[in-house]
Amino acid sequence: MTTDFEPRIIGFLCNWCSYAGADTAGISRFKYQPNVRIVRVMCSGRVSPELVLRAFREGADGVLVLGCHIGDCHYVSGNHRTAKRMPILRRILEYVGIEPERLRLDWVSSAEAPKFQQVVNEFTKTIRELGPARQVIQ
Amino acid sequence: MMEELRKVVNELLNELDGVVALRGSSEGVAPHLFRSGNDLSELVIVPKYPMASVLDLLQDADSDVRLGVVARGCDERALIELAKRQQVNLDNVRIIGIACSAEEAEECRCALPYPQNLMVGEKVQGVEDRLIAEHEALARQERLEFWKRQFAKCLKCYGCRNICPECFCEECVLEDELWAQTGVLPPPFPTFHILRAMHTVGKCVGCGECERTCPAGIPLTILYSLLRRDAKELFGYEAGASIEDRPPLVVTLDEVPIRG
Amino acid sequence: MEYKNVLTTCVYCGAGCGLYLQVLDGKVVGVLPCKTHPISEGKLCVKGWNAHSFIYHEDRLIKPLIRADGGFREATWNEALDLIASKLTEVKEKHGPDAIGFLASAKCTNEDNYVLQKFARAVIGTNNVDHCARL
Repeated sequence: MTTDFEPRIIGFLCNWCSYAGADTAGISRFKYQPNVRIVRVMCSGRVSPELVLRAFREGADGVLVLGCHIGDCHYVSGNHRTAKRMPILRRILEYVGIEPERLRLDWVSSAEAPKFQQVVNEFTKTIRELGPARQVIQ
Repeated sequence: MMEELRKVVNELLNELDGVVALRGSSEGVAPHLFRSGNDLSELVIVPKYPMASVLDLLQDADSDVRLGVVARGCDERALIELAKRQQVNLDNVRIIGIACSAEEAEECRCALPYPQNLMVGEKVQGVEDRLIAEHEALARQERLEFWKRQFAKCLKCYGCRNICPECFCEECVLEDELWAQTGVLPPPFPTFHILRAMHTVGKCVGCGECERTCPAGIPLTILYSLLRRDAKELFGYEAGASIEDRPPLVVTLDEVPIRG
Repeated sequence: MEYKNVLTTCVYCGAGCGLYLQVLDGKVVGVLPCKTHPISEGKLCVKGWNAHSFIYHEDRLIKPLIRADGGFREATWNEALDLIASKLTEVKEKHGPDAIGFLASAKCTNEDNYVLQKFARAVIGTNNVDHCARL
């Protein structure tokens, strides 16, 4: 595996919790891998399978979806949809031979800056080990 | 069995505005609206066509029309799922259920080859889908090669989507420039096909028409059967089992939690 | 209410797939593949699936039009046909039949394309016939 490979990760972060959490991590000067390009959405429930697949089609090696913890969603149940969609999407990826680990769903609240840091670092490491997806996914 | 079916239909035509069933003639076999007085010797049941879509079409034209439909298990399940999504009004529909033969169940790899409203025919046992087990036994790289080879044949004819009884969206994501570009053939692997697969979750009733109408012979039912299994495993959901079951992906975790 | 499926042959391309036109109360509302057809076996390509869409299309010409003042004006069939006949005859007499080219299209029906090439060859007398699929 070439060490020149820098993972390109798209992160869909919800405005109220995970994006704020990322903000807090930034303000607190937490160091984390710079590979995640963040796209702010109002709710993780907005992240449809179309969006995730488009990210992969455009060249993302990994897609990270971060939302509020279940029960804390600003829109009450938006993240319920995400909680159900993402596992199914991961399974389909697996069925057609794509590593399901390339798609990760996690819950990060606005105060959980250390968790954000941990998730980003972990996920970047995972994708680095998996290698580029660009040749495989269109 | 056919005599009995024709008799049942003939009787029901006295109280209904029409019965949707297959008509066989010199022009082949296709769905037809039989009216009272029509020649029922033309009523056949093979080869099967998705009947639920025809009901949807007719009810769109006249919401009060009272129709019967000769329905196999998958037709009934498709109708229930359509009714759940307000596409069909089952109050105006009389389901004339017919059972599939053992050979038909085998060919469709069908777990439930009969409808709940069974009126004609003997129930046969469902079949386990051995292709799922075979697929699961493949290594990840083998699976990738398999589907890459299969989907490279895709013509993007939209046949799978067109024939599917559950696909009723006026604006389909697969025709949206954002998610599926026009003028790209074969469609991008695997995102185009994964997108279609995602949209069958909670809807697919396993009629198999998608695979039968695919000109490229892509074994779509393997993928969609796996997802039907997932809907059962993760949400306890079986499409077409009951009109009371709410589609899992649309409702909250309190209504339909994730299992396991 | 009347609903029936009418068997026909797809108007696009030379394969000749069998398909049903879904007819609801006298209007064509969709297409179904014909499962018993020996050629198409219940399958259709994207053109076959949409073979019905031109019938009531809003862009479909329903009256003859003649170019005038940078646009078009409505005309009668006789006026339009007389104009076409006189102009084509003029060119044919002055420059010969091979001065006229005929461009058919995969977006037209097989029947339209047949008539066009027949007209080119038998009436005008040229084999300058080509087709958008060849370009």
